[in-house]
Amino acid sequence: MALLEVEDLTVEFYTQEGVVTAADGLSYRIESGETFGVVGESGAGKSVTALSLMRLIESPGRITSGEIRFKGQDILGMTEQEVRSIRGNEIAMVFQDAQTALNPVYSVGEQIAEAMRHHLGYDDREAKERTIQLLDTVNIPEAESRYSDYPHEFSGGMQQRAVIAMALSCDPDLLICDEPTTALDVTIEAQILAEIEELAEEFDTAVQLITHDLGVIAEVCDRVMVMYAGKPVEKAPVEELYYDPKHPYTVGLMSSIPRVGDDRDRLQTIPGTMPDLVELPTGCSFHPRCPFAEEVCTRKQPSLIDADRDGTLDADHVAACLEYTGDLTEGLDYEVVVEGSDEERVVEEDQNV
Amino acid sequence: MRRIYESEALTRDDEEQFTPSQRRSETPLQAMRSVNATALSRRLLPGWLRRRAISVDVSVPCEAFPLGATVPFRVTMANAMPFPVAFRTRSPILWAWEVDGKTEATRVPRDPPNEPGEFRFGRGERKRFEKRWEQLFRVSESEWEPVVPGEYTIGARINVDGAVKKGLYDETTVQILPERE
Repeated sequence: MALLEVEDLTVEFYTQEGVVTAADGLSYRIESGETFGVVGESGAGKSVTALSLMRLIESPGRITSGEIRFKGQDILGMTEQEVRSIRGNEIAMVFQDAQTALNPVYSVGEQIAEAMRHHLGYDDREAKERTIQLLDTVNIPEAESRYSDYPHEFSGGMQQRAVIAMALSCDPDLLICDEPTTALDVTIEAQILAEIEELAEEFDTAVQLITHDLGVIAEVCDRVMVMYAGKPVEKAPVEELYYDPKHPYTVGLMSSIPRVGDDRDRLQTIPGTMPDLVELPTGCSFHPRCPFAEEVCTRKQPSLIDADRDGTLDADHVAACLEYTGDLTEGLDYEVVVEGSDEERVVEEDQNV
Repeated sequence: MRRIYESEALTRDDEEQFTPSQRRSETPLQAMRSVNATALSRRLLPGWLRRRAISVDVSVPCEAFPLGATVPFRVTMANAMPFPVAFRTRSPILWAWEVDGKTEATRVPRDPPNEPGEFRFGRGERKRFEKRWEQLFRVSESEWEPVVPGEYTIGARINVDGAVKKGLYDETTVQILPERE
């Protein structure tokens, strides 16, 4: 049994403009100790997916269908009290914007200690000791004197670390990191990622890492799910995704990564923007931006299928493109070039179509 | 107090992307802040007055479109009264558009949550929604079918019982022209 199993999760927001389907039929599983990456552009539904795992979707949003099983228990069928006992304790989350996640009128130490007092039944002294130890673990200098500092007295990187410390305080089995390094500079980003990796290894915690940075995914994750307009378009082990991307969107993402020593004049980009989730394009949601789109792409929505053999959903590498159901006549015309050693991977897209 | 983000001073439009737009005349007037106007409207206003207050209008830029072209249309709902009006809708889906009676041009039934929603209009508020119909009908979860040339009716309704009878519905017809040889 996997630690977390998500099946056919659909999350809708009922707005005045129409129904926003933020997550549409998502299915994935995370094993204990595994690092699972979720990648996609802004508005692809990554954060909504994470929030629904903890049942934190607020009105006008609703989880309209699907199942979320954590250690075999159905999270959507639990009472509010049962969910509260899991939140922060067994499933913890590192939020995107640490400054907003921290309460400005409580000291940082107090906010971390509170979770432990509530979930683990520590008394004040024990909770304080453990908090200082955690602050030290996430490399906050002079942790003891920083315990009583307020969030505004911390730098951005330190705030992010404090939020990570808070998430790790109850030794969770699943850590959801929602773009934990987006607001940080690259040196701090590298440190934070190394910390998450190290801590996940130390505590044997499974991590769901949400990001829009493919570099981060390559560095940290075991398996990846690429999302576009609320739907998963490709799921694969990280190596396969980089060496053998199957979906045109993944190929587009790969070719838009800038590289040192690249002699191209212009960076390849994916034309257009993510569609409005209220009014998704018919057929494959990616077709208006896809260089390989054909007439059939506007009329048929592809489902995730094994991209190599015609297999089932349980296959390791699946992609949602009509190419793999044999519907495209011209096929996908791109080429993946791997240059040099492991450190130097290049994906190039041949768009002579 | 009027705040900068309510003033629409920073709203950009498609034609002149980098100039502040003119304040539109339909900018909602501010309701009184000290009372819950929506709740009051629901309790005090009789049904007939609420229905009379709101108008629904569907308009298309032209009446005929070539086969395969996108059909853009605009749904405008306006509250003619100088007080807020609220409707209790059948589900959280507040309103819907349809083509030939098929909601959002789909033949796949939708199962919205079984709880009422609330559609609010500020005093004098005009709501405008721009939508598009790609001349396709969704026939299953994953398939769409193109339409044949002919006349089609595009309608929009507020999601209440008997919307047509209550005047909370409007429709317009468009011609889909066959391709020239």
